[in-house]
Amino acid sequence: MNLNHFIQRAVADFRQNLPMQLMTTVVVCLSILIFTFFSFIYYNLQRTVERFGSELGLVVFLKTDIQESKIPILHQKLLNLPGIENVKYVSSEEAFERLGTYFEDAKGLLEGVDQHFLPASFELRINRAIFNLERIHALAVELEKWNEVAQVQYGKSWVDRLSAFVAVGEKVIWVSAVLLLATAAFVVSNTIKLAIYARQEEVSIMRLVGATNGFIQGPFLLEALFQGLVGSLLSIGLVFLCYSYFKGIVAQTELMRGVELIFLPPSYVISIVASSVVFCVCWTFLAIRRFLLV
Amino acid sequence: MTCLGNAFCYDIDMLRTMKGPIISLRGITKQYPPDIIALSDIDLSIEKGEFVFLTGPSGSGKSTLLKLLSCMERPTSGELSLDDFDLTNLSASQVPYVRRKVGVIFQDFKLITTKTVFENVALSLEVIGLSSEQISKRVRDILELMGLASKTDRYPPQLSGGEQQRVAIARAVVNRPSIILADEPTGNLDRGMTNEVMALVEELNAEGATVIFATHDESLFAHTYRRVLTIHEGRLRA
Repeated sequence: MNLNHFIQRAVADFRQNLPMQLMTTVVVCLSILIFTFFSFIYYNLQRTVERFGSELGLVVFLKTDIQESKIPILHQKLLNLPGIENVKYVSSEEAFERLGTYFEDAKGLLEGVDQHFLPASFELRINRAIFNLERIHALAVELEKWNEVAQVQYGKSWVDRLSAFVAVGEKVIWVSAVLLLATAAFVVSNTIKLAIYARQEEVSIMRLVGATNGFIQGPFLLEALFQGLVGSLLSIGLVFLCYSYFKGIVAQTELMRGVELIFLPPSYVISIVASSVVFCVCWTFLAIRRFLLV
Repeated sequence: MTCLGNAFCYDIDMLRTMKGPIISLRGITKQYPPDIIALSDIDLSIEKGEFVFLTGPSGSGKSTLLKLLSCMERPTSGELSLDDFDLTNLSASQVPYVRRKVGVIFQDFKLITTKTVFENVALSLEVIGLSSEQISKRVRDILELMGLASKTDRYPPQLSGGEQQRVAIARAVVNRPSIILADEPTGNLDRGMTNEVMALVEELNAEGATVIFATHDESLFAHTYRRVLTIHEGRLRA
């Protein structure tokens, strides 16, 4: 009995039991679709938070009475700090200009206001590789102790809230992922079991005419492999369609500017397909085994 | 070599020279939990090429005996041998090889309804690993012999009871088993079809196959010269 013969029999069996085979494939597809879609959302949420966090910088506001000559020295001093990737000096004039741009539609608001009323500042960009919220906080506390520094800002409350949200979200997602996986495993395993039960008579007749366990199991396992493969690929395809659709919407939505949807990386896709195939094949093996015991 | 048509060939000369029991039971008992005794202390010997009727009322143990011989059940105690196999100590991996020596015909046909007549019969040859060409030739020959040549692509539910039983017989004998076990094969058939099936089984026996024919229809063996075994409440009566 060679592989070619197994494939021929599996194809014939698939054709003869088409409704049951399709139902199993659809159940596999839907179960994995829910999990894949959830993974897609989680992956993007995680990436977005990471990106926002790593783009976060510190703004060091200087005292208004600081001497111009000290600016280059401070600039160098800040650059020498560990983890600082870039330092940009923003003079009080430049800060005023930025404010003007911000109030472009209501220029009258700034009429008669002194152009030097805003403090000069340094904008610090943190190295992404060593980004860490606690380190930023420690750095801000340290910088505030400098004589030339009036205040340090880094969006602490926003970052704290985002971090808290992500921490809770992560727990919810993990619990949901485990429940979803358990549900998918339960549904798929029972569908496979039912499909095998429906062919119990066929299996007993094959045994009766002298078929070995390998002869009986071979096509069933190939069918399971096909169901796992097609079911998971279909679900990933559907999630990709959703991704393509939502990507366009997100890009056009002002509120979500800066957010970029990313499709699941190849390692995720391969893991999902492989897990699906292995699960279907193993469960079919176990389900059919009970009918093969003498 | 003697052949029934082109499909069913036994080396009858070889079978006749190899005298001796092909089936042997010594003190066979089969008990089902908790304490149902289906067969009790059965001693039986069947010669190669013999045709034996097995009779008795429903529930007497006929089917259990056939199940033991086809390895669908294991005896609780006693010694059982079939051809060269010691069924008492048979490993699970050896069971398929015993079954290939035994063709079983059932009252309810046991055909796979999702497979065609051709595919049902071919199954017995696929399991022994014949090539597609060999399978095709032998299946077509036996179906022609059984008068089913025009129905190869039909599915079992599209056939009459007699036709289905002929398909079941074709499947049981297409791989030329040395033993044929028939478990009430005419139970669901009318008189005409019963005679047809009997004639087929007798022809197979004439070609060298050992046959055990279980039935409670006394008319089938009322005027026979063949050995008739009667089972009553799990015990064999001479």
